[in-house]
Amino acid sequence: MDDSEYVSGLPGFLGVIDVAIARIEAVLLALGVLLMAANTVANVVGRIAGHTIYFSEELNQALIILITFAGISYAARHGRHIRMSAFFDAMPFRSRKLMMILIAAVTSATMFLLTWYSLAYLLEQAGRGRLLPALRIPQWWIIVWAPLGFFLTGIQYGLTTVKNMLDKDIWLSTSTLEGYDDSAEEEV
Amino acid sequence: ETWRYAFEEALDEVQGKFAQKFKAEVEANSDNEVQLFPFGTLGESVDIMEQAQSGILQFVDQSPGFTGALIPEAQVFFVPYLLPQDQDQLFSFFRNSKAVKELFPPLYAEQGLELLTMFPEGEVMMTTTEPVRAPADLNEVKFRVMTNPLIVESYQAFGATPTPLPWGQVYGALQTGMIQGQENPAFFIESTKMYEVTDYITRPGHNNFTTAVMANKDFYDALSDEDKQVVQNAIAVAFDYILEYQDGLTEESLAKIREAKPAMTITTLTEEERAPFRETAAAVEQKYLEIGGAQAQAILDQMKADLQAASESAQAEAAAAN
Amino acid sequence: MTLAIFGTMTVLLLLGFPMMIPLIAGSLIGFVALFGGFGQLDTMVQQILAGIRPASLIAVPMFIFAADIMTRGQSATRLIDLVMAFVGHFKGGLAIATAGACTMFGAVSGSTQATVVAVGGPLRPRMLKSGYNDSFVLALIVNASDIAFLIPPSIGMIIYGVVSGTSISELFIAGIGPGLLILLLFSIYSHVYARRNGVPVEPKSTWAERGTALRRALWPLGFPVIIIGGIYGGFFSPTEAAAACVLYALFLEMAVFREMSLKQLYATAKSTGLITAVVFILVGAGAAFSYVISFAQIPQQVLAGIGIDQMGQYGVLFTISIAFFVGCMFVDPIVVILILVPIFAPVVADIGLDPVLVGTIITLQVAIGSATPPFGCDIFTAIAVFKRPYSEVVRGTPPFILMLLSVAVALIFFPQIALFLRDMAFAK
Ligand code: NA
Ligand code: NA
Repeated sequence: MDDSEYVSGLPGFLGVIDVAIARIEAVLLALGVLLMAANTVANVVGRIAGHTIYFSEELNQALIILITFAGISYAARHGRHIRMSAFFDAMPFRSRKLMMILIAAVTSATMFLLTWYSLAYLLEQAGRGRLLPALRIPQWWIIVWAPLGFFLTGIQYGLTTVKNMLDKDIWLSTSTLEGYDDSAEEEV
Repeated sequence: ETWRYAFEEALDEVQGKFAQKFKAEVEANSDNEVQLFPFGTLGESVDIMEQAQSGILQFVDQSPGFTGALIPEAQVFFVPYLLPQDQDQLFSFFRNSKAVKELFPPLYAEQGLELLTMFPEGEVMMTTTEPVRAPADLNEVKFRVMTNPLIVESYQAFGATPTPLPWGQVYGALQTGMIQGQENPAFFIESTKMYEVTDYITRPGHNNFTTAVMANKDFYDALSDEDKQVVQNAIAVAFDYILEYQDGLTEESLAKIREAKPAMTITTLTEEERAPFRETAAAVEQKYLEIGGAQAQAILDQMKADLQAASESAQAEAAAAN
Repeated sequence: MTLAIFGTMTVLLLLGFPMMIPLIAGSLIGFVALFGGFGQLDTMVQQILAGIRPASLIAVPMFIFAADIMTRGQSATRLIDLVMAFVGHFKGGLAIATAGACTMFGAVSGSTQATVVAVGGPLRPRMLKSGYNDSFVLALIVNASDIAFLIPPSIGMIIYGVVSGTSISELFIAGIGPGLLILLLFSIYSHVYARRNGVPVEPKSTWAERGTALRRALWPLGFPVIIIGGIYGGFFSPTEAAAACVLYALFLEMAVFREMSLKQLYATAKSTGLITAVVFILVGAGAAFSYVISFAQIPQQVLAGIGIDQMGQYGVLFTISIAFFVGCMFVDPIVVILILVPIFAPVVADIGLDPVLVGTIITLQVAIGSATPPFGCDIFTAIAVFKRPYSEVVRGTPPFILMLLSVAVALIFFPQIALFLRDMAFAK
């Protein structure tokens, strides 16, 4: 799916913000992966030339955290989180509808809980002042994505709860109807 | 009460031996139980340190090299040729050092930790795929080091290409030739099988791996005087035990390596051969003063004074014995 | 507490919650129960972050990226055409080639997840086109990838070697026998499956056609050269080989074949990031859950009750097998090895079992567990990469699990399967 074509399931101003956040997440995801490849290759070249990039590993750690936490809300937005739907799919429509509301609400609440505690962890780390040994920057700089990612994911599932309560269909996310998209061509 | 104690090595390596002794002493002399968590079972070194700071763990063993990210002064233990190679002097230093007993504890306290003891784990040796007699032999050698600026600096000064690499990849990288060397104490070279993928062990005498045991400070402060005494006594007993345990451990480990791989060449560099390595120490010391935090100079000066005292007392003892 | 945790996790899983929720709930309950409230949940966050941090995991997004570029462009097709030119006329030939590719790739990458992506990504579409059923294809890819654990280099064996003090070189050699035996069984099954399900074969290629296929595949044959030559030649770590493949794939698809535009590159990178995130949040949540199990010393409690020291050789080996198999169904393999190996070490030494044999059995069980429902990390990877429902990914697994388990049992009664090569190499 091209993000320029991403249509938010949300009305008005909320929709505009949603689309903007979706764009930012997508750019962070793509950039994170490209930088990771560049960093890793540069490290090889450096080592063969006799100058190891000693902070390469830490940079990759920072990038994998960025990718994971930008990605979980992006995945929530597109209904791409892995679930075992065999029993769910076998239920009648009304039960599925109620179940989906429950799932989205509980997931949203869990994400907000983790937002709170990852914020607590972040502040704790900032207070301890631990540095990354090679980059020599504060360690908390690379984990700010955790609370942010959990928070945006919580919002996505919260909105999915509301969407399922207002709409007659069953929604995996604000923009994705239930049921896996089978087309192998589909891009995300 | 149940006290939890995590460390960075396996149960039968030096830190694990210390922890087992501590556990046995505490349990024999009080109603407290000590649960031991070896390497990896609760996360890596940084993780267990944070857990000790949070109070989830009551005790933790972390080497100052890792603590350097938190307490930069602790990196002093990576200044090469600072610690003596003579075992008696070394032990005397750890028993009596004012730096360890008076200067470091407040720095640990700032991080919510009660420093209980520091002890040596063994002479650091290089294992390489080619012989090393002089810095020139390290030229172009990709040498795996811990991710610590001072070790990187040391090996750069030695002439090698210091290559930080996660521990899990070191064995494979030595096997394929991606790197050609790494350093560790003899017991660790033996237990982690590094000798299987290298052919030379070299003893430049540049360092002795040091580690530290600490408690969560709030936990420790809240202990009854009686329990504090139990902890202190157990630490003292375990400290004596671990020095005794180490007396000969290096030779035993090297013997095991020789038995498993007779072709292994083990070389102790002569004082003459060590000289060019030793000359690089000043540059690393300078780097330590740059990045070692506010107390770096004070710690280094005190360490040197302590080491002088340790050397004199060892000489006096030797004279008395004659 | 153990029962409450596993009960809640199973129920949430079956109800259709996103899979991170059962894992997070399991560790939540554990943390609250262990620390009497919500006071230490920041450590749970620490463990989630620690779970995704290991440098060796970076190979996974890098191989996803490289495989995605190859599949969207021409590299993958040309390589598979070459394989088909040689095996296309044989019943089950493509399936056997897939299993073989998984083994070879596993041998160099050392990562089962990377193998699922890198081999499965390009080969699955072709297998579907050739008439194989998707649940067979998915199960074959997931389970054949497990052979990566047994063929050196194996990170599981390195960890076992370090924890138990066993020679890693001997472990590496001992893994080859069972690894090849599994490959053989999978090949036979693939052949039988293709026969019984009437998977059509292609007409046998002429040598001229094979020559053409080879010529077309010359550029893409650089991939195995980079991976195998790069790693064994001492140029790369497996992670770096993955990144080098990304670079080479970009060179081929953008400069040589001119199949990929910058816009597509962006889309591919984004899709790689998404798949990575979906898998890694589960890896992180799984790490937090492992922490609870480890901290509460649950394995120690369970194993203390069963009197393992009175069991004799076979009893101990079976107990070890079951413990690692069950453990890896729920918890990260590395953590399972770190926790369980020291628990079993005394009894293994008492009975005088060969630690290399024990290590091989453990590695095999760890591999099986990683592909076994409910929480196998290879299953997550397959779901995320191939966008197939959980039930479809696991539906075809029983025959494979059965074959793997029979090798496991055979290994207990005929240790020579593993030790034969070791004894030859080390002349014992
Ligand atoms: Na492997
Ligand atoms: Na598993």
